[in-house]
Amino acid sequence: MFVIGVRAPEIATTVRAGQFVNLGWEQGPLLRRPFSVYRADGDLVEVILKAVGVGTSQLLGMRVGERISCLGPLGRGFEITGSRALLISGGLGVAPMPLAARDARAAGARVTWVHGARTAAELCTEADGDDVLWATDDGSRGFRGTAVAAAPDADLVLACGPNRMLAAVAGRWPDAQVAVETYMGCGTGVCLGCAVPLVRGGYDRACKEGPVYRAADVEWGALPAHLPYAATA
Amino acid sequence: MSVDVGGLRLRGPVLAASGTFGYGTEVPLLERRALGAMVSKGIFLREREGTPPPRIVETPSGMLNAIGLQGPGADVLVRDYAPKWATWDFPVLVNINGESPAEYGELAARLEGVPGIAGYEINISCPNVEQGGLYFGNDPRAAAAVTEAVRKRTRLPVWVKLTPMVGDIGVIARAVESAGADALCAINTLVGMSIDLNAYGPRLSFRTGGLSGPAIRPLAVSLAHQAARAVRIPVIGVGGIGRAEDALEFLVAGCAAVQVGTATFVNPTAIAEVHDGIASFLRSRGFASLADLPRYLPRD
Repeated sequence: MFVIGVRAPEIATTVRAGQFVNLGWEQGPLLRRPFSVYRADGDLVEVILKAVGVGTSQLLGMRVGERISCLGPLGRGFEITGSRALLISGGLGVAPMPLAARDARAAGARVTWVHGARTAAELCTEADGDDVLWATDDGSRGFRGTAVAAAPDADLVLACGPNRMLAAVAGRWPDAQVAVETYMGCGTGVCLGCAVPLVRGGYDRACKEGPVYRAADVEWGALPAHLPYAATA
Repeated sequence: MSVDVGGLRLRGPVLAASGTFGYGTEVPLLERRALGAMVSKGIFLREREGTPPPRIVETPSGMLNAIGLQGPGADVLVRDYAPKWATWDFPVLVNINGESPAEYGELAARLEGVPGIAGYEINISCPNVEQGGLYFGNDPRAAAAVTEAVRKRTRLPVWVKLTPMVGDIGVIARAVESAGADALCAINTLVGMSIDLNAYGPRLSFRTGGLSGPAIRPLAVSLAHQAARAVRIPVIGVGGIGRAEDALEFLVAGCAAVQVGTATFVNPTAIAEVHDGIASFLRSRGFASLADLPRYLPRD
């Protein structure tokens, strides 16, 4: 995983955990690429990514000082209240969690962060909380199994990861707040491309009403379980 | 830069294409000053859920979408959006859809007289609905029947958005002109498909989607030009416009105005940039107005 920083002072000072930015650059793919804001420090906005396709490879090939268009902050982030916060992240789902940990601590909560990946080598080791638990599918670090299975109980649960992981979160904590992943067109609410199916029927927009949802409100069976990012990246 | 197009005087030749600007209320930062007009997201008489995800996929220099005309229906549009449009300083046309000519007519009748609605763009070219849409767009008699059904129910300008999925766009263009259309919009998206080699199936849940973006621009210029040669009413060019030079190609090829669509997804100020770019092009070439721009439009 790689972290890149974009100098975007207005976004850095106003972004909330769970919100995202939509990045576009010269010679890049046609559509912008959405990224959860990973950290916001001073006038710098950071995002975390893997090289999964042409777009992300181009981003990682950029040199310091090159210009990029950064639209944001977009979407609705986590609502953070309470005295104990449980953060659950799988793989690149680590993205919104540093800000979530920051905001939870600022709200006076004790932060437990459970981070999972397939193997120890794929874990993001920057996870940081009052308690940090690791989970790997192959048991190469921490709990052998999923981050959801490894997690203790809590009242405030914030989760991000592949949709199939979030569906498991919904099964255990209906009131958890989860940041879903969808393909996205505009990021601003006009194209209706990032449809999220709802239990009450119909769809709404990950970029506008989301990307954070109450876990039990999403019709998980109708949302692709996992996005093959390379398809569009 | 003002233009007269199909019964409306517009302050500029650059319009927001249907489905790419929502109802105009979504993005506060969009620069509206340059907008000649907005065409709203396509609407049916009744609410529609739209298609399941995935709804979009990027393709070389373009994208496929299969939204399925998700929308709240006419009553909500009249209640929630039209009152806002009534206060804006540019006209809003509603992109209207139906499963039969009668339903198109009924929708126009429902919207008639509502303050804030300046005209209609009849969608006979949406590739992403099971009934209606494209079906009406590739048959001259069906296209004329829909146009006539709307024409009878309204005094407002009626524009018709044409599909590229036809053998001769001129035939359809003439049919809807005769049926009372005030202007044509050319073109809607092309039907495309993209296959996921891991799933051994289509990437879109609807299987196919509408192809838009720079990939379709040369085709769109060609078809808009053919339509313009075939009729006397104005043609509004649309398809892959992202920069002023793109828009100028359509204008020189015989279009009276243009719509910007997919580019707005990428660049929320694309319309303003295209508008300003056309103005500076005209200045730099010594033209006093858009009317002085040389056109390539030999008559058939």
